[in-house]
Amino acid sequence: MTATFPIQPAARFAGQSEPVKRPKEFACFSYDKDHQYHPGDSSLKWYYPPTLGTDLSNGFEKFIKHDDSADEHLDSLLKTIETHEKKTNKQIDAHIVTWRGILTKIMAAPFEDRDGFEMNATFYRNSIFIEENHKCKEASRREQDNQTWKSPIPQEVMQFWGYKFETLSTLPATWGETSRDYIEKRDNEIVNNKEQYCSVVRTGLGKSIICLGGEVDAIWDSKPKVQGAPVNWVELKTSAEIRSDRDMDNFERKLMKFWIQSFLLGVPKIIVGFRSRDGILVKLQEMETNSIPTTVQRRGRAGWDGNTCINFASAFLEWLREVMTDEGVFRVRRKPRSSHIEVFQVEEV
Amino acid sequence: MGIPAAFRWLSTKYPKIVSAVAEDLPLEMPDGTMIPVDTTQPNPNGEEFDNLYLDMNGIVHPCSHPEDRPAPKDEEEMMVEIFKYTDRVVNMVRPRKLLMIAVDGVAPRAKMNQQRSRRFRAAREAQEKEEDKQELLKILRKEKGSTQKEEPIEEVVQKVFDSNSITPGTPFMDILAASLRYWCSYKLNTDPAWANMKVIISDATVPGEGEHKIMNFVRSQRGSPDHNPNTRHVIYGLDADLIMLGLVTHEPHFRVLREDVFAQDSKPRLCKLCGQKGHDERNCRGEAKEKEGEFGEKEKALPLKPFIWLHVSILREYLAIELNIPGLPFKFDLERAIDDWVFMCSFVGNDFLPHLPALEIRENGIDTLTAIWKDNLPHMGGYVTKDGHVDLDRAQYILSGLAKQEDAIFRRRKETEDRREAGFKRRKLQQEQRDQQRDQRNGRGGHGGQDNNRSRYRNPENIPHAGPPPGLQLYSLTPKPVKSLLTHDMVVNRQAIDQANVANKSVASVLKSQIQGLMAQSEAAPVVPATPDSKGEVIQEETSPASALGKRKASIMEEESASTPGANSSDAETPKTPVAEEGQEDTVKLWEEGYADRYYEQKFHVDRNDIEFRHKVARAYVEGLAWVLEYYSQGCPSWEWFYPYHYAPFAADFVDIGKMSISFEKGRIARPYEQLMSVLPAASRHSIPEVYHDLMTNEKSEIIDFYPEEFDIDLNGKKMAWQGVALLPFINMPRLLAAMEIKNELLSPEDKVRNGLGKDVLILSDSHANLYDEITTHFYSKKQGAPFFTLDPKTSDGLTGKVEKIEGYHPHGSLVYPLSRNAMPDVEYDRSLSVHYEYPKSAHDHKSMLLRGVKMPTPALDRSDVEILKSKGQNSGRSYGGVPLSGGRGRGGGGYN
Ligand SMILES: [Mg+2]
Repeated sequence: MTATFPIQPAARFAGQSEPVKRPKEFACFSYDKDHQYHPGDSSLKWYYPPTLGTDLSNGFEKFIKHDDSADEHLDSLLKTIETHEKKTNKQIDAHIVTWRGILTKIMAAPFEDRDGFEMNATFYRNSIFIEENHKCKEASRREQDNQTWKSPIPQEVMQFWGYKFETLSTLPATWGETSRDYIEKRDNEIVNNKEQYCSVVRTGLGKSIICLGGEVDAIWDSKPKVQGAPVNWVELKTSAEIRSDRDMDNFERKLMKFWIQSFLLGVPKIIVGFRSRDGILVKLQEMETNSIPTTVQRRGRAGWDGNTCINFASAFLEWLREVMTDEGVFRVRRKPRSSHIEVFQVEEV
Repeated sequence: MGIPAAFRWLSTKYPKIVSAVAEDLPLEMPDGTMIPVDTTQPNPNGEEFDNLYLDMNGIVHPCSHPEDRPAPKDEEEMMVEIFKYTDRVVNMVRPRKLLMIAVDGVAPRAKMNQQRSRRFRAAREAQEKEEDKQELLKILRKEKGSTQKEEPIEEVVQKVFDSNSITPGTPFMDILAASLRYWCSYKLNTDPAWANMKVIISDATVPGEGEHKIMNFVRSQRGSPDHNPNTRHVIYGLDADLIMLGLVTHEPHFRVLREDVFAQDSKPRLCKLCGQKGHDERNCRGEAKEKEGEFGEKEKALPLKPFIWLHVSILREYLAIELNIPGLPFKFDLERAIDDWVFMCSFVGNDFLPHLPALEIRENGIDTLTAIWKDNLPHMGGYVTKDGHVDLDRAQYILSGLAKQEDAIFRRRKETEDRREAGFKRRKLQQEQRDQQRDQRNGRGGHGGQDNNRSRYRNPENIPHAGPPPGLQLYSLTPKPVKSLLTHDMVVNRQAIDQANVANKSVASVLKSQIQGLMAQSEAAPVVPATPDSKGEVIQEETSPASALGKRKASIMEEESASTPGANSSDAETPKTPVAEEGQEDTVKLWEEGYADRYYEQKFHVDRNDIEFRHKVARAYVEGLAWVLEYYSQGCPSWEWFYPYHYAPFAADFVDIGKMSISFEKGRIARPYEQLMSVLPAASRHSIPEVYHDLMTNEKSEIIDFYPEEFDIDLNGKKMAWQGVALLPFINMPRLLAAMEIKNELLSPEDKVRNGLGKDVLILSDSHANLYDEITTHFYSKKQGAPFFTLDPKTSDGLTGKVEKIEGYHPHGSLVYPLSRNAMPDVEYDRSLSVHYEYPKSAHDHKSMLLRGVKMPTPALDRSDVEILKSKGQNSGRSYGGVPLSGGRGRGGGGYN
């Protein structure tokens, strides 16, 4: 039996937003340079601005790229939660446990229908665990790769720019504990996206309590002594420099994903590195996550609305919890350009 | 850089760095009650400040021996003056987060040599002053004859406060420390504007010069990721190099606060004998101080001296233009360029090295160096300095560039001097002719003309019995400057010099200049108006504390002036063309060939062919430059290092310095008594525990040679004694320590305590609730934590560091006023908390970089400022010929026309 949750008309989700719980980090873990899991914050990075004028393609040939063809499931997140539960001797109280990326797709659904998604949701121990349907993801990626790439710059290089920007903009320790040499020679650092710091937070949308795991690019100052206190995380993004109104419209559309991602983990600041068409870093812009929806709304061209995203996700998750009352695996699917999300039980685990 | 002229030079060249401080003053009601300023209100300067740092010696000196008021009668009065003054400064700035009070602790050895020289001179001058005073008393008694009783005059003669006791290790410094702690606690209890302020007191028991302790603190906070890069810093102090220190913190929101001078004009003249107003010394009746009444009220009405800001941020703007070089083969980095510039400024003068003979701030030595730097930077491959360390190969470029011009600089200096002197003589002659004509017209002489007065008073017998009423021009030491002719910065710098004299030089020398002024007045010396020369040279001379005239005693005046070479007129008596002290003749003659040979022969007493010696001196000097830069930008690199000569080498002597390798050892920090024994002359021994006195006075003492009573001052080509070099033997530390060792055990327990090493103290109010609770819970609850508590910058509002319980201290006690006369109240329930504080130490050098998130202040320079600076910059520093060393590449030869 397939249950269906209509996305459209999205207007019904507009207006005052449902109560949102501020995300609080209660645990974290790190992947090292070999993508080995470590509890704790060993891979945490500090933000320090990069040198403008740097070519983001520098060092592409030495890029150490994480091979994400293997299905990693929720393993690291669950391991971290488990450790936390052992430590506190208490089960976490989340209705939903998932990666930040999954929830981002759901939240963006009212305004983003091109790609669609397929997820597996498991009801277990009073929580719904949602992960990507790996096979489906692989398939769609293959499809994407087969599409003709129009830019003169290879797709892999453009993907690299984002990671390069992170390497250029972060330090492995605080500014005070980093040598001038390191700071000035970050352009020579080998870019490695296997290394990650992931924050695990408890948050809430409407009536659903959510446990989210997600990568955080950098921290602005230091982690507070008190657990759960707001953290000045920094999200790093690259984008093509804006030279026309159309560029601006595109950028503002992109801002929706930026905003949702950061909003979900409680990242207050997004730093955008604007690049020229050929990948030269030309400008930095700091944005307050919280002010993005209103800023975009004021210009009125982006066609997305933050409250709608929140209320939609809130309503959907509440509905999902009603649908998924039996233990077992469910498929959560939105076909490209579809106006609704389907949920149905599947056999495979 | 430690020299007052730097302020003048800076504010002339970069006029917008100075602005007036807006200050709210307490309101006086008709019934006499005062309504204090509510400093919780927004700052009237239109901007709020976070941190205020007080280089406290700049307050202690003027408050304990003021130049414009009668001196406080005892230490308690001094403390009250200090409280008042500090309160005023704090109210002006209204720091919202932190107040740091830093008193000079023991200094690095390199500084002690300067202190030693100042204090020995001070003692000598004090002795001369005493003789002067006695002589004056004699004259006065004689003239007043039987109409005056003799006794009272002596009784009320001001007891001179010995400013040498403002040195770590003295009982005075103990009183000061206790008083400051009391006062800050009191303010935290009573002043709502202090509710969320943290106070750090670094008293004299904590080693280091005050301003450098402050800089260490600022750097330590910068290293913390929780430091707000937009923190607004204000430092109060008198030293000219505070602005340099501000620059090298690389915190752009940084200001220096200091007193301005307009009040100088309204400064009341005080009797030099009893220190009271309303009469001069000739009419001193030696009456006890009037408590209230006419003069007491006038005192209240005395306008406060206004203050000024020196904006580091605006200086940064100027430097960004001035130092920018288009088309560099590497990336232009303003922070690095600023460091290089500060480094070069230190060549022109600092407290630790004699300045290079070719570089005079007044001759725009900084411009000369800047031009060399700009022309060579493209070829040097990078900056001269990096995070407080010198690249010696690149420094060689700068020094070689200077060496190329050195001969020309000396010759030009001589020409300028000769021209100036000739011009002066000419004007003088013209004036005399005019005077003569006028006198002939008037048919009488001596109606107040200066020359006439001088001749009238030259002979003490001629001093009139009833002096003219006070206020006549006759009585002012320097003529009142015509206001409209003075630019703001001239005024500012006048003050800079005055203040520096008070704070940096010794008080005795200030007193001396006062008594000299007195002598000068009784002789009614002609004073040159404050405008004759171009380029503002006036100020220097005008305020020189030891004018040639003042140096002399009335009785020997006549013969000496007559014997002065080339001065058969009254030239010798004018401060404008002072004679060399004791008729010292400049035999080095830098403007004539062979000067280097003569210099090394005469100053260093080495053979003129011993070139290696010159290089040795130059290497020591390079070490010194490196030491100074590191001291400024990283903290003291070595407590023991010092430059072991009285004179600097020539630029030409710096050869192959790139081959040197320089490293400093931290070394041993002196104890307070070791410093006192290193810097004080025997005459000031009352500030040192008695057990050591013998070492300074006994002919048989094995270190008696450290305490000469007589020593030479070499004018070294300068005109004024205070510009000369005091030829004192350098202290040999091992010998000093060995000699003191034997006496140390004899110290009383109290004296031993004063010789100890102290810690910074952090004081805060319980209205800073979270922080107060965190600390008290950690130290004073039932289950006490570790001995150290690391501050959480989130609760401390950004302050990082560790705190430690003070032994024997308990919060919620009573706050007791530490002095005897109870000028201020006790507080029964003390709501403040005191703990020891330690700022975080970093294993890394402090980097000369801006921090992430810094927002630059709105630019203060407009288009025309920029244009003016640029057009000036084209030729500045290039008067002595070309400078690029490798003309082949980039901008070569005549590229700067
Ligand atoms: Mg000082």
